[in-house]
Amino acid sequence: MKISLKWLSQYVQINLLPSELAEKLTNVGLEVENIEYLSEKYNNFVIGRVLSVNKHPNADKLTVCEVDISSQTLNIVCGAPNVAKGQRVVVGLNGATIPKNQHDPEAKPFILTKVKIRGVESDGMICSEYELDIGENRDGIHILGNDAQIGQPFAEYLGLNDIIFEVGITPNRPDCLSHIGIAREVAALLKKRLMLPSIKFKEDKALVSKNAKVIIKDTINCPRYSARVIKDLKIATSPKWLQNRLLSIGIRPINNVVDVTNYVLMETGHPLHAFDYDKLSHRTIIVRTASDAEYFTTLDGKGRELKENSLLICDAEKPIAIAGVMGGLNSEITESTQNILIESAYFNPSNIRRSSKYLGISTYASQRFERGADPNITIYALNRCTQMISEIAGGKILKGVIDIYPKKNRPSKIEIKLSQVNSILGTNLSSKDVINLLDRIGIRLKKILKKKDKKYTLTFEVPTFRPDIEREVDIIEEVARLYGYDRIVTKTSSHIQLTSRPPKIEFNDELRQLLVGRGFNEVITNSLQSQEVASFTGENVVILKNPLSREMSAMRTSLIPSMLEIVRNNINYQEKNLNLFEIGKVYSLVDDSKISTLVAGYLEEERLILIKCGKADFPNWSVTERKTDIFDIKGVIEDILLKILLDKYKFIPYHATKALVDSAISIEIKSIEVGYLGKINNKILKKYNIEQDVFVAELSIDRLKQFIQPVKKFKPLPTYPSVIRDLAFVVDVSVTIAELQETIKLLSGHLVKSVEVFDFYTGNQIEKNKKSCAFTLQFLSELKTLTDEEVESVISKIVNGLNIKYGAVIRK
Amino acid sequence: MKEKIEELKRLAEVEIADCKSLNDLESFRIKYLARKGSIAEYFDALKNLSPEERPTVGKLLNELRSNTQRLFDEKKKLLELSVSIETEIIDITLPGRRSWIGSLHPITQTLNEIKNIFFRMGFDVIIGPEIEDEYHNFEALNFPRDHPARDMQDTFFITDNVLLRTHTSPVQIRVMENEKPPVRVIVPGRVYRNEAISARSYCLFHQVEGLYVDKGVTFSELKGTLVAFANQFYGSSIKFRFRPSYFPFTEPSAEMDITCFLCNGKGCRVCKQTGWLEILGCGMVDPNVYKFVGYSPEKLSGYAFGMGIERIAMLRYGIDDIRILFDNDVRFLKQF
Repeated sequence: MKISLKWLSQYVQINLLPSELAEKLTNVGLEVENIEYLSEKYNNFVIGRVLSVNKHPNADKLTVCEVDISSQTLNIVCGAPNVAKGQRVVVGLNGATIPKNQHDPEAKPFILTKVKIRGVESDGMICSEYELDIGENRDGIHILGNDAQIGQPFAEYLGLNDIIFEVGITPNRPDCLSHIGIAREVAALLKKRLMLPSIKFKEDKALVSKNAKVIIKDTINCPRYSARVIKDLKIATSPKWLQNRLLSIGIRPINNVVDVTNYVLMETGHPLHAFDYDKLSHRTIIVRTASDAEYFTTLDGKGRELKENSLLICDAEKPIAIAGVMGGLNSEITESTQNILIESAYFNPSNIRRSSKYLGISTYASQRFERGADPNITIYALNRCTQMISEIAGGKILKGVIDIYPKKNRPSKIEIKLSQVNSILGTNLSSKDVINLLDRIGIRLKKILKKKDKKYTLTFEVPTFRPDIEREVDIIEEVARLYGYDRIVTKTSSHIQLTSRPPKIEFNDELRQLLVGRGFNEVITNSLQSQEVASFTGENVVILKNPLSREMSAMRTSLIPSMLEIVRNNINYQEKNLNLFEIGKVYSLVDDSKISTLVAGYLEEERLILIKCGKADFPNWSVTERKTDIFDIKGVIEDILLKILLDKYKFIPYHATKALVDSAISIEIKSIEVGYLGKINNKILKKYNIEQDVFVAELSIDRLKQFIQPVKKFKPLPTYPSVIRDLAFVVDVSVTIAELQETIKLLSGHLVKSVEVFDFYTGNQIEKNKKSCAFTLQFLSELKTLTDEEVESVISKIVNGLNIKYGAVIRK
Repeated sequence: MKEKIEELKRLAEVEIADCKSLNDLESFRIKYLARKGSIAEYFDALKNLSPEERPTVGKLLNELRSNTQRLFDEKKKLLELSVSIETEIIDITLPGRRSWIGSLHPITQTLNEIKNIFFRMGFDVIIGPEIEDEYHNFEALNFPRDHPARDMQDTFFITDNVLLRTHTSPVQIRVMENEKPPVRVIVPGRVYRNEAISARSYCLFHQVEGLYVDKGVTFSELKGTLVAFANQFYGSSIKFRFRPSYFPFTEPSAEMDITCFLCNGKGCRVCKQTGWLEILGCGMVDPNVYKFVGYSPEKLSGYAFGMGIERIAMLRYGIDDIRILFDNDVRFLKQF
């Protein structure tokens, strides 16, 4: 909310520098996000007169205007459809900071520089309301009246030498959405008096009760409705001071009546609405909820379909406003309006919020009502508005107020224990401290009780403009806020607890360390993707109801697609040798009768993905370059499994092809599939425009976790030395290495402890359909030192055995 | 004699250039610089010269000797650097056989550091689901239906009652539902916001949530814990402030700011000229929350806090566009 320092100073005396005031406000929870000196905002903006408008030689939609700014005549390229000769306009000169860029989605400011637009040099820019940050209109340039002097600085024209604070008001503080509300806080902080405007006006003899009638049909959603009628007033533009007040906080002036309602809204925080009295059928206001599919045109000219339960303000025949949100076109104040009815009501916050949400309209009024207005301020705001309108627009104020308020909302009483204040805050405040702090913001002590154990119980009365204060703890917060968070002592806990770190986190860290050591870079990718991509895996995809875009409308079912995007982008940056990993979740819909999950029907699984592509090894001058193949990625997986899980794993070829991966190999531990590895399918690579092979492994961390050995057990080291021998065999290509390794161990009567492959060959040097495998065997006995003879005899067993079983021939 | 000395000098220069090993160099030394080397011989010959000639030639010889010694020393240094293996000379500037250098994502690194600090303060780590129900994400955290506080967090919905969590706070509810007090946990995790992607916001980010509920936990202690954290993470010289704020699930609520470490509190673009950087939100657990999980607000009190990892990482590493964290350009990743 924008707060004008000049305006604020009407209600409280402020003897602080703007920055000091900002700090004080921030320290009580009213965060000042920005301080703006309006006169500086419009440095380099002057008023000019359009002398001529000519077509741009190279662009149909642009014009080149000659603009007189008194000191000189400028040539300005303009794109606005409404520019015309003779207009008085606001010209941003080169060097000016345009407050809002209407072509930027975030409307960021930008600095004007001398540029050629389609070949024609432009000496500045004629600005729209939106660009000047004085209103929302961005359809054309802002046109000034004849009172604007050519060459006058725009800030001077606006009468702007105010300082504007942008204050972030949290949703619990509706009372601070006004100048008086902020002034109340400032007065409390500075221990100054709050000065409210006094209201005086003369009423006509005619009674309002004879001229208008209000019926509330739904007192739950509309607990109070107050109204006045003013007759024979004159609609006109507002006086300059009023226009400037509104402009300074970003509200566009419309006409005197509407401007006053907005002024009083920003002054008191209470939303008001003025109806054209003569358009109210039977001079009657009926407050009721909408029936389904009722249709209504709001002030902004848009047709709205209403939903049941939306609260409506109607006349005897038809809706004339959506209560607390926006008025209707049919009862709008126009130039010809003579008589008005001013509404000052209190509506139920949830109803207004539902209407506003459903209709997608958020207005100053709806923002206040949905956060909670003050039901007991309606008459004050109404009278203030009446007074100002009659001063500015003339007219006769009918006698009396219509005020339907069947069930009076009284200030609530809250009882607090002093001990609780101190035990929550860690302070040592006395009851007097607490009473004084609260008194400053109008929370008055009603009762004080001292019990036998010297414990105080205090009862306070909370004004109705603070709907957020309902409980003891709310009072405690106010005490803390006014006492000052920074004055509360900073203490560290004396409690010490031992933590039990859950294995999952530790496991992930261990995995990360291992992979970083193996040269992999960790990535973190978006878990939202298109439904099409998420469906690649054939899982039941979790779909968002209100996505940002189609590309991010579903939750990923595999880590592969988001990783492939990263791979593609990096290849585009000429980074073709990639070793990447991610630990992240995948999501799917599951049958909640079969799988139990924290949120029924939604499964989340944590996975690890590794990808490797390009060169297998870091380029090195002594080794011939080799492209990555499937055994590179398999090696990493073997390292992980050996390091973390020892040697219980198996690799099994998939018979059916995986959706994203060719020649996929399933990774199993104790017959449970924990993941797979393979080469990314060419079709998929094509979709991502990747023109090199990409190898991948995707493992379920949730499944791997089951096999973690929490405590590793020491195995005694061998007592006797081992014997190492190399053996090479030629066998049929159909015989697997794993079979050979397993059989060697068996044939050795388990004297061979390890069988490592040190060479592998297929090709011209040996027979067709044969392969040559060379193994390093480690012989070890737990009972004795093996002699050469013993080893030789085992070797001949192995050689014979392999020959019989596989036709393997030893290669010398 | 002068000519000979000059010639000897040139020869030495040629020969030193030919020395390819320490052995070669040793032969060079013996030839020229040793006690019986050629330079020494010339010195010996000095005595045969006339007294007039002696000083000039002696000077030349001295020059020759020091020059040759210098050549020798320099070459020796060079050869010693090129460690010789089996007489082979190695250019030690040839790159070693390296391998790829891995890296942890800066978000992980930042998170790890934060986690470690809280571990040391006795906090457990727990995690919770990202697909969350409306009850845990909002209702039980005291965000009433139809309350504007829900607008503080733009939400992705899956169904009317299931959504992508907008903060890690629902895990507060889950842990209190499952565990008896005292609880002292931190909750790292991914959260989602339905906000247009820009330099300042992404549709998802990571948070660390903290919760401590026990008998007699005070706001004073909350401040103490977070100041201890900030001193560990940002250094003990930083200044801090706590200012009132609003979160439906804490009361009193606060935001913690530290002095902007980029401008030392003088005011800069990053701190929006305020001199302060907002680093986390916190507060005392609202008694309404205890009611939802069956804790007794009369017997217990506690605090909660939460911080965004991306923001912290961006400030820490001087990254000004959040999207770069999710682009995963390896030229970026390898810097960490």
